[in-house]
Amino acid sequence: MHDRSGDNILPRRDTSWGRRLREPRRQGAIIAAYFAQFLKSRMSYRVDFVIDLTANLFSLGVQLTVLTVLFGKIDALRGWSYEQVLFIYGFSLLPLGLFNLVGVNLYNFSEQYIIEGNFDRVLLRPVNSLAQVMFSSFGINGLNELVLGSAVMIYAGGRYGLSFSAVDIMLLPVFAVSAALIFAGVFLGLTSVSFWFEDRMGLAPPVYNVIRFSRYPLTIFHPLVRALLTFVLPFAWVAFYPAAWFIGGEEFRLLALLTPLVGILTFTLAYVVWTRGSRRYTSTGS
Amino acid sequence: MPETAITVPGNEFERWRRGGAATAGLYVSFARLAFLKFLAYRLRYYTGVVSYTVFVAGNYYLFTALFASRPAGEELIGGLTLAQMISYVILSWVGRSFTFNNIDRTLAQQVVQGEIALQLIKPFHVQTVMLSEALGEALFRLLMFTAPILLVVVPLFGLSSPPDPALYGWTVLSFALAFLVNAQLNFLVGCLAFYLKNIIGVIRAKMVIMEFLTGVLVPFTFFPAWFQSAMEWLPFQAISYVPVTVYLGLRTGHDLIISLIVQAAWALGLFVLGRLLWSVSVKHVTLQGG
Repeated sequence: MHDRSGDNILPRRDTSWGRRLREPRRQGAIIAAYFAQFLKSRMSYRVDFVIDLTANLFSLGVQLTVLTVLFGKIDALRGWSYEQVLFIYGFSLLPLGLFNLVGVNLYNFSEQYIIEGNFDRVLLRPVNSLAQVMFSSFGINGLNELVLGSAVMIYAGGRYGLSFSAVDIMLLPVFAVSAALIFAGVFLGLTSVSFWFEDRMGLAPPVYNVIRFSRYPLTIFHPLVRALLTFVLPFAWVAFYPAAWFIGGEEFRLLALLTPLVGILTFTLAYVVWTRGSRRYTSTGS
Repeated sequence: MPETAITVPGNEFERWRRGGAATAGLYVSFARLAFLKFLAYRLRYYTGVVSYTVFVAGNYYLFTALFASRPAGEELIGGLTLAQMISYVILSWVGRSFTFNNIDRTLAQQVVQGEIALQLIKPFHVQTVMLSEALGEALFRLLMFTAPILLVVVPLFGLSSPPDPALYGWTVLSFALAFLVNAQLNFLVGCLAFYLKNIIGVIRAKMVIMEFLTGVLVPFTFFPAWFQSAMEWLPFQAISYVPVTVYLGLRTGHDLIISLIVQAAWALGLFVLGRLLWSVSVKHVTLQGG
């Protein structure tokens, strides 16, 4: 049994082409059913649902107020104007929103699936195990971030006198999705660690807390921090580099174009770790 | 026949004293147990030290860049020097690591899961028990969380000493009061669970708002005058802005004493408010099942 991945413990699937073509549709339908189920349970606390959205708005309001107050004191932050910083901030909300839609389950994976042994159930079902975990509940707030991030970008871009070429418009969603893949990769990697160690330490929170500072122009940080955010924990690619394509100088253009590559690389690496980890999974027993 | 009728008047005080001591002993044991419980989970706080280092580092670079970008010829921003600003950032976050607690979350959980019923039939006051437990947690945090964070961030970023050594003492006192104000406020938020059941959203909103209104994110002196005077009338400044500005020596003499009295008044006022809200809310308790 050990040569097979956790997904394939069940008898081998029908590998004919007709079956293969139907497979994505079948998995899609199952994921849609997960979503409907989640909405039902979420809507049973309607008041809290509304307050949750309000909380998100507050958070955005606070961030914008802080930026506005700080820029009331200066003309530019190490050469970056209010509009440029605002644009980076707006852009950063797009990948974060996309990731929050499906990534919430990675945060408490260790507790919910490994320690409580719920991963047994996941492995018994003939749907990709990662998809099941990620789609078992949704962070609806992500939609909020998508809408507000776009609004902030349009406002900042307008004030900056930005004009989008056809290429820019095509690149924007590509960058946003690639950056979301970086988030997914980083947190999936951290989550997968719990297959080897029971993550009593909670490695995700400190990493999550770095996000709020990755929204500032990278050049305000110490060169060592810049290098860390570029090569080790690639959060420079989730906001600053891709956003700099639109509002930054020439020197960032090439780096911005690497965003999809970094996204795919990060996620693939994390997925390999996840697959190897889930093979190691031995239930809690009993 | 009521028991009091047969006691000799001279023993009244002795009885009261003993009863008081027993009650105090009860609440002290809750604080002790909470301390020991958190000690068992201390591993979780190691990565928290990293989190707080990230907060301090990020804000250190942000404000350093801000000061580097200030208009030529200007020394201060928001009335602070760069050294003061860095101390402000360090103390705000280090202070938060100490005053923080989860009374609201714990209370909400007890209400939603019905454990509150067992608390209600026991001969103690739930609000005081939760405060005692928070005290135990605060002691744990001070020794195992706040102290390590200080040991990491002070050498890294440099905390300047206060203008007067006596301010060390006043700062400690002010942060102790800040803890009390925060604990009472959390209890009030936790009471909302009686009405809303699931209050995770409320708690999240509270955390966001508090970071801003307590002055942790940006000093109030960066804001227009009307904002600053509005903050004077709210309890949030007592949780971070007051103790931090005490340390920086921005409150001296008469001002210093008044600030501490205001903090204490908020702690007491919110405690009374908590008691009132509690007595009303408890009547709302509905428990599932039987």
